[in-house]
Amino acid sequence: MRIIVIGAGKVGYTLAEHLTQEEHDVTVIDKDDEVIERCSGSLDVICIKGNGANAKVLLEAGVEKANIVIASTESDESNMLSCLIAKRLGAQYTIARIRDPEFNESQTLLQNELGIDVAINPERATALEISRLLRYPFAGSIESFARGLVEMVEFRAQEKDAIVGIPMKDLADKVPHLPRILYAMVERGNSVIIPDGNFVILPGDKVFVSGDMVTITEFFRFLGRYNQKIRSVMLLGGGRISYYLSRLIVPMGIHVTLFELDPEKARRLSELLPRVDVIFGDGTDQDLLQEQGLSQVDAFVSLSNRDEENLMTALYASRSGVQKIIAKNSRMAYTDILNDLGLDSVISPQVITSSTILRYVRARENSNGTHIERLYRLIDGNAEAIEFIARKGDPYIGIPLKDLNTRKGSLVSVIVHQGKIIIPFGKDHIEEGDHVIIVSRNLGISDLNEVLYR
Amino acid sequence: MNRKLIIRVLGAILGIEGLAMIPAFLISLYYRDGDSAALGYSILLTLAAGAGMYLIPKTERNSYLRLKEGFIIVAVGWILMSAFGAVPYILSGMFTQFDSAFFESVSGFTTTGASVFEGFDNYMHGVVFWRATTHWVGGMGVLVLTLALLPKLAGRTAHLVKAESPGPSLSKLVPKTGQTAKILYRIYILLTALEFVALLLCGLSPYDAAVHAFATAGTGGFSSYGKSIAAFNSVPVDIVVTVFMFMFGINFALYYKFLIGERFKAFWRDEEFRSYFFIAIVFTVAITLFNLSYYPSFFTSLRYSSFQLSSIISTTGFVTADFSKWPVASQFLLILAMFIGSCAGSTAGGIKVIRVNMLFKLSRRNILATGRPKKVDVIRVDRKAVDENIVSQVAQFAVMYVALVFIGAFLVSLEGKYDIVTNLTASLTCVSNVGPGLGAVGPVENFVGYGVWGKTVLSMLMLFGRLELLPMFILFTRSAWHKY
Repeated sequence: MRIIVIGAGKVGYTLAEHLTQEEHDVTVIDKDDEVIERCSGSLDVICIKGNGANAKVLLEAGVEKANIVIASTESDESNMLSCLIAKRLGAQYTIARIRDPEFNESQTLLQNELGIDVAINPERATALEISRLLRYPFAGSIESFARGLVEMVEFRAQEKDAIVGIPMKDLADKVPHLPRILYAMVERGNSVIIPDGNFVILPGDKVFVSGDMVTITEFFRFLGRYNQKIRSVMLLGGGRISYYLSRLIVPMGIHVTLFELDPEKARRLSELLPRVDVIFGDGTDQDLLQEQGLSQVDAFVSLSNRDEENLMTALYASRSGVQKIIAKNSRMAYTDILNDLGLDSVISPQVITSSTILRYVRARENSNGTHIERLYRLIDGNAEAIEFIARKGDPYIGIPLKDLNTRKGSLVSVIVHQGKIIIPFGKDHIEEGDHVIIVSRNLGISDLNEVLYR
Repeated sequence: MNRKLIIRVLGAILGIEGLAMIPAFLISLYYRDGDSAALGYSILLTLAAGAGMYLIPKTERNSYLRLKEGFIIVAVGWILMSAFGAVPYILSGMFTQFDSAFFESVSGFTTTGASVFEGFDNYMHGVVFWRATTHWVGGMGVLVLTLALLPKLAGRTAHLVKAESPGPSLSKLVPKTGQTAKILYRIYILLTALEFVALLLCGLSPYDAAVHAFATAGTGGFSSYGKSIAAFNSVPVDIVVTVFMFMFGINFALYYKFLIGERFKAFWRDEEFRSYFFIAIVFTVAITLFNLSYYPSFFTSLRYSSFQLSSIISTTGFVTADFSKWPVASQFLLILAMFIGSCAGSTAGGIKVIRVNMLFKLSRRNILATGRPKKVDVIRVDRKAVDENIVSQVAQFAVMYVALVFIGAFLVSLEGKYDIVTNLTASLTCVSNVGPGLGAVGPVENFVGYGVWGKTVLSMLMLFGRLELLPMFILFTRSAWHKY
């Protein structure tokens, strides 16, 4: 597809990078010379210097033939204007990053009158992601497939887990009552492994399992992780993410303690969030944290504007025995080092925003022909989980999997047949219209025929 | 430095070079001049070397191509390619010395067309066809071709195209570098085919038509005749070649715009094309008038003058007249045209019209600024402000270019042969990738008189000129060879 990205900040750059990897034709517009230089040097895109809200610049970028225009500059107003103009000039679909909640309230107006097809609020998207992680505290990340029927959950194997130290093929015999689940992928050190029958899970491995929600819940209950329900959370920093997050999790019955350094802001938050304990004070102060009961809470989420503070306090909270730690790290660098330090859930609003936008782009692509339903990048983009819909007339249809060749480094993880989940074995087969979820170390698969062939 | 990746890309270049030798091999099988074995062995040798280098095991995370590495690949790639391109000349016995064969090969790939070959009376068709093929491959660029065929070769491939394509800044036609490379080659093939057909219609044999179409397309200038285009002595051939030489000096992006629907507006809207066209017309008219004292009629003068100007300004170097006997003013304009060259993004050499254009604007600004120093003035091309960085790069490029011509002439003079005019124009014609110079390297002479030293220096000058100086200069810096 032809895609125009306006504004190549962190979000725009990440988007452009992923979109080119997925073989789209991308044009980047930015006002800044240096940003343009960086993009043209390292990305396979056309770069245009100029204001994305200027019709002349948009025309130069070929807006009249663009399938999607994504406005991701810092300014809401500029994004809205860009989308409005782009739409008038003939762009098919527009996505704008709009962060001010005031604008969000008039969303239908935005969509109908301004021609913005999707408005993404980065802070809200981040808050949603965090709330999911709080709901399943044992998981490092959760991705859902087939309209939520199937989930893929990442967790870290521990010494005492029953599944550790036993070859995969013997698990069913040696561990009684183990729920049947698919071990889709394992990350060990820097390598990604698709487990086979002889594979043995070791303590410290990051394991991705997939199945339906009930089985996954049973599985974690079996491992003794499910009773760790989160009842109280501490939030560091009173920014917009904290506000949205509180609005999301307070109704779930979670008690929230929020630290804010600015007295005005603290007062305003207390006004807006009556059921939240807003503490006026420096949340990086160890004494203050302990005083407010750090060692008693179930989860600690650091959301201040400074990455260093977030990571240090998160480490401190982890040391103090808090079960679930989530830290915001805008720069998204050094993820593997942070994982080694025990911070499994490090989130970046930029990455969340760009992957949310990517999801819309892919949905758009479906309507344009290819049949990827969903795609997630796992393990820092070293592996992918892709959901396909089996098409009529494809050669693999109706043939038992054991008679098909599977591409090396890929695995058919789940088949969803008429709403029923099948963890596939050799005798199972794929039928037309089935949702098929593939996990793969080979990036850039765009067709199920590339994975399964005779 | 990522040696493995560099070697891999170099391997791919050699692989493509090996494949490019195949048509010449087939032609040698048809004509049976005794060069089939030489070409066959050359293909095997080049492909084997290429495959060996390409198949070096790929380790993890090695596809990150740094800018410096891109420049090194381009510079080393061109030297390596020229060395392997010389193999057929040696094996077939066309040349006995490696320095002559290397000179001829470099001259071919850089589309210079300066030759040390003399045996036109009884030449081997296969090898001479290979000589023309090197023009064609070198004209648009071998890395551009490599990326058209293997777009996934390395990450950040824009670096490679940038280092190889002529002009101050790279303009992509479509977002993907590989796709851009493919489009460029399609246009290139289309234009070459057009000229081939036109030459056939003028009565040339298919072999001659192909050799001269290739040589024109790359703006090279190797002919299969000692007398170059003059050998045909035909007005239609002169006209066809004149027009096509001019056309191959135009930025290929404009042809793309022409084809996608802008039609002729694409050309007139482009400031560089307008300047190129203007310079060509003014110079042609001037030379035609100066030459009235040399030729009997206006039309004869126009025929030879327009051909020669088109040939020199597009840096092709075909010859229909011995211009070293022309009035000195005409010769001087031709020397000036050698400096200017054609448009960025074409297959031609020279400083490039766009840079000359900017230099004029820069000089004008500097002159005006002496009177009104506080006035802020931006330099515009196509009504768009040009970044000051690029302006200063262009100025530096021009200075380095002229300096290189003089340094080259001095180095050639160390051999102790010829006079200043010969050595200076030899250096200029090599840096600008034209072909003929004046004096002992004039239009009806060739470069055979130079010794090993002279040929080596001139070979290097051709490579410097073709790659627009910087990639080659980088090879001579110590930091290029640092690991980090």
